Amino acid sequence: MSAPVPTKPREETFIEEMKRYLHLGESDAILLKRLLPRMEKYLPEMAERFYAQIPHHPGASRVFTGGEAQVLRLKSTLQAWGRGLFNGVYDEHYADDRFQIGFRHVRITLDQKYVISAMGVVRSFLMEKMFDEFPTREERLAYSQALSKILDLDLNLMCDSYFRATMAHLQTLNQELEQASVQLAEANAIKDEFLAQVSHDLRTPLNSILSFTKLVLDGLCISPEEEKEVLRDVFSSGQLLLRLVNDLLDISSIEAGKLALELEELDPRAVLDSTLPLVAVQAASRNLRLVDETLEQELPRVRGDEIRFRQVLLNLLSNAVKFTPRGGVTIRATPDYPLGFLRIEIEDTGIGIPVDKRDSAFEKFVRHDRADLRGIAGSGLGLAIAKRLVEMMHGNIGLDSGTNGNGSIAWFTIPLATPAKPPETRRA
Amino acid sequence: MSETVSQGKKKRIIIVEDNILVAKFFQMALERAGDFSCMVSEDVPEILREVTAGEVDLVLLDVSLSNAEWDGHRVNGVELCRILKEKSPRRLPVLLATAHAMSGDRERFLETSGADGYLEKPVYDSAQLVAQVRELMA
Repeated sequence: MSAPVPTKPREETFIEEMKRYLHLGESDAILLKRLLPRMEKYLPEMAERFYAQIPHHPGASRVFTGGEAQVLRLKSTLQAWGRGLFNGVYDEHYADDRFQIGFRHVRITLDQKYVISAMGVVRSFLMEKMFDEFPTREERLAYSQALSKILDLDLNLMCDSYFRATMAHLQTLNQELEQASVQLAEANAIKDEFLAQVSHDLRTPLNSILSFTKLVLDGLCISPEEEKEVLRDVFSSGQLLLRLVNDLLDISSIEAGKLALELEELDPRAVLDSTLPLVAVQAASRNLRLVDETLEQELPRVRGDEIRFRQVLLNLLSNAVKFTPRGGVTIRATPDYPLGFLRIEIEDTGIGIPVDKRDSAFEKFVRHDRADLRGIAGSGLGLAIAKRLVEMMHGNIGLDSGTNGNGSIAWFTIPLATPAKPPETRRA
Repeated sequence: MSETVSQGKKKRIIIVEDNILVAKFFQMALERAGDFSCMVSEDVPEILREVTAGEVDLVLLDVSLSNAEWDGHRVNGVELCRILKEKSPRRLPVLLATAHAMSGDRERFLETSGADGYLEKPVYDSAQLVAQVRELMA
């Protein structure tokens, strides 16, 4: 059942086409091969002439960074190229070799116009030597024509390689541009989402402030006690709104790179002692134990920004209190002298956070779903801010499961002021 | 105060809202009007029990819910609205409330949820809220 499939005529390769165009045939190949013993002696001088041109171009200092050794190497490469001219074999392998020239030069940003001019110098040099070798016109003509053809072919191969290398370079640039535009669109979508979320989150406490105020103004409360209760809700909503606005300012100045931290040597004990009472009230009102296990320890001095260190600590502590319906919150500190940091852990007996949600917990507006917040929510920015602040102080932050599998541990590290020196050694 | 205006049965409203303060305001505003009794819940099975029993006259539904779950996964107000409409044995007006107020939200939420009305937070005028609820019940 096999009618002979008509084979599509193979497309001519570049070198085949050019050889046809230049009438470069077998007879020329034979002549060129015969030229080798006569021309070989001129090749070193040819290389000299070529490189007498090239180093004068404006970008030379950028291209010829290898000094004398590089130029010597390049000269011997050019002599090899010259020998190739008189090799007599002008096949695809020959073309491939020439095709690399453009890619090499585009990579080092050597402009083709300088190379082409230098090749012109090479051509007239070789042609001049033909006069020396073949004083009579009859003798010279066929050889000169063959040499002219191979030099034309070479120039064409070289120019085509510049074209292809430039195209490849443009393609790469184009891809990079496309990628950048995709990233820009993504960033824009994130910004829109952020704006929508901010608008939603600002409206929620605002809703309570306005609605309860109006309720009181409209005289809809049934007792002075109720009125007071409603005003307390207004107050806490106002506080939430303030916190939200502050957090928003923090996160945007951090993201714009405008938050400057003042890293200095500080005593973590002082930071802990001034921060814990702020959370103690919150914890007590929810009947939670607040245990500071660092009290019996001598804590090494650390390097950080005191205000931001306290902010991170407060964020993590109030998160722990918020997500713990019963039980308690424990603070621990473990110095790692070999690695040079202090690790601070805040463990709670709360609702815990699933392993797959731990990384995303540090993203903006990712809130803990099943929180027992009921009303007084956070800004959803606390952990995101804490992560960025800790990283700006050259530390790490993370979430783990609690010791007994329930609850969770929020931890962060802060570099020691003087690494690798336990306090015992200092005293000894 | 004009409490218990009518001797007849009060209209029952379920408030589905994850923010306790917002829910509290809705409840106070509606109950002070005199003829409504409210239940605040995010518990979908519980809400459905009331709805299928035909005991509910209107649902005031927030779009973003943090604790509502149905069939093993989280549902938002838009999805819950469709479920309630489908399961209710009688006409059940649903008033959707949300603080999502970017342009296009209103049309999108109303269309995808099948709700009867839409409230854009901040909602702080009791009289306006009550009027809108009455209108949807009529």
